[in-house]
Amino acid sequence: MAGNVVLGYDGSEGAKEALRVAVGVAHAFGAPLSIVFGYEPSPVGGESSDHRNALHGFGERAVAEAVSLAAAQDASVEIEQLVVPIRPVDSLLQAAKERQALVIVVGASGERPLVGAILGAVPHKLLYLSEVPVLVVPTPET
Amino acid sequence: MAVTSDVEVAPPLEHGGKGLKVGALGLLSALVIGVASVAPAYSLTASLGLVSSSVLAYAPAVMILAFIPMLFIAAAYYYMNRADPDCGTTFTWVTRAMGPKSGWIGGWAILVTDLVVMPSLAAIAGIYTFRLFGAYGLANSTFWTTFIGVIWIAVMTLVCYIGIELSARTQFFLLGAEIVILVTFAITALAQVYGGHVKHSVHLSANWLNPLKIVSGHGAPGWGALAAGMLTAVFIYWGWDTAVTVNEETKDVKRTPGKAALLSTLVLLGVYLIVSLAAQAYHGAGFLGNDTSGDVLGALSSDVFGSTWGKLLVIAVLTSAAASTQTTVLPAARSSLSMAVHKAFPKRFGDIHPRHLTPGFATLVFGAVSIVWYVLLTWLSPNAVLGNSISALGFGIAFYYGITGYACVFYYRKHIFKSFKNFVFVGLAPFLGALILTVMFWIAAFYYSNPANSFVTGQAWFKFIHFSFSIGGWDIYVRKGLGPPVVLGIGLILVGIPLMLIWRHGHRDFFVHKRQVAESLEATAPPLTPGVVPVTD
Repeated sequence: MAGNVVLGYDGSEGAKEALRVAVGVAHAFGAPLSIVFGYEPSPVGGESSDHRNALHGFGERAVAEAVSLAAAQDASVEIEQLVVPIRPVDSLLQAAKERQALVIVVGASGERPLVGAILGAVPHKLLYLSEVPVLVVPTPET
Repeated sequence: MAVTSDVEVAPPLEHGGKGLKVGALGLLSALVIGVASVAPAYSLTASLGLVSSSVLAYAPAVMILAFIPMLFIAAAYYYMNRADPDCGTTFTWVTRAMGPKSGWIGGWAILVTDLVVMPSLAAIAGIYTFRLFGAYGLANSTFWTTFIGVIWIAVMTLVCYIGIELSARTQFFLLGAEIVILVTFAITALAQVYGGHVKHSVHLSANWLNPLKIVSGHGAPGWGALAAGMLTAVFIYWGWDTAVTVNEETKDVKRTPGKAALLSTLVLLGVYLIVSLAAQAYHGAGFLGNDTSGDVLGALSSDVFGSTWGKLLVIAVLTSAAASTQTTVLPAARSSLSMAVHKAFPKRFGDIHPRHLTPGFATLVFGAVSIVWYVLLTWLSPNAVLGNSISALGFGIAFYYGITGYACVFYYRKHIFKSFKNFVFVGLAPFLGALILTVMFWIAAFYYSNPANSFVTGQAWFKFIHFSFSIGGWDIYVRKGLGPPVVLGIGLILVGIPLMLIWRHGHRDFFVHKRQVAESLEATAPPLTPGVVPVTD
């Protein structure tokens, strides 16, 4: 598997928009689409096992929803689902590296820039850390 | 459309040089997380005066003595964590070993213990915020410290709700600074004492470290005071077990937690010993014991460092209190999430915030309840919020650490006598730890039930309770009411019993769990609730 389109997906409106674009890109390049949900509860505070399980379930549901949305849009794109127990940014970087990805697609976080920078928005971090091109899809005005 | 793979769980990242998941740093971050969870500067500030007021000059001895049950209970945490990995909770462990009712009460005890500590955190944050800006008058005003305290709880709850995380490096820096400041404070104080510049100072004495002096000899504080002092001092190690149970990000899961626990022990014991000795030498034990408002280190810091450099210690206490608030709110939210997932608590507490991926509802509820509780407690006992909270806290900690110790023995009972190592680590140590905590719990309950031993002398609640009795020639009087620490500490745990019965009435799903016994010392137990599948990574 090489040259995948890697999509970061969390079920938000922004992520759905990114999914729409990612399916289009994957179709245009004839590339498989990897839909990734990464999660990692803070190790501070312990007692994380049920929290992890809950996040895993949440991720599985989100990614499954993404698969059906993608199928409805374009049934010809090959799809891989990944629910990964590591931080969202790291999960995308890892998936991209392993698959020698063509591009990483994420939704803009929808935060104002300063807030995003303070809270550490995923697209913001990806821009600095990714070794492959990053495509940031703006959230549609509602 | 073709779905190539089923939902798949990738192995953790193996960064080469830059990441955080390398073995060496794994040990360091486990150490940092363990020590930061304990929050040494805040713990000392909150408890040193209280311990001194119970056991006078023997506070340093009690500081060390209190570690023994914690060490023993750590064995229980380590082995229960093997069965239910990834930092499981007392709630699930006790449910497995001792049945759902005990498990529910164990979970409840964690929640109320977390709740009880919040007012003391907020009060200290309030006092030290004003100290930081030199507003010493406001630092003494109950209204204004409570005002800042409420804002503090709200902000920290929001931090946990949004899931803002400090990077490992920032945490390491903050903790390092905290330790360095505390040690520098102690050394400077001792140098001044021995340089002969300090009024009312006392030279160090080996007696301070001798616990036997607490219970024997003329004018000794006695067993009740020892138990009360230890119950308070147990609190300074609260959270230390995280060093044992944090096993994510460690390559060598078998050895790293053990090493992290050992190292964090050395750090904590060292810091507590040197700071409590130095603080006591500086103005004497009487000065510490008279201050139960939590301002001990603040008051000493301006004397030792002068007011400008003294701010360093103030900042250390504040960052430490922030870390401690975080390590209180997060586990409280996660414990209630855990209980909700296993159908022992209302479903909404299991909600995951879709954007922040935190247990959003549980976090907000805990924050809101904490604020209400804090204001209520301030109104009920305006001069003793901190003393009453910390002493009450000891009961909660002793209860749920104790029940975890018994659960470990019970869960591994078929394996205890299979080898000497088993006997020591899953039998003797957890049992002794639990036993010490149980004995402390009861002696302290009788000690504090006498309102004369309250921090505001004579303050008593429920004055209609009026009885006296004696056992074996040992007079135990409970007259005209109970001391607030007993009411808060034991009362809140007891409130859980009717709540559990009410919940059980309509929701039997959780209460059908059968007790389990360990298959082996290494085996991971099957999921507690079918359908809640553990993540294997």
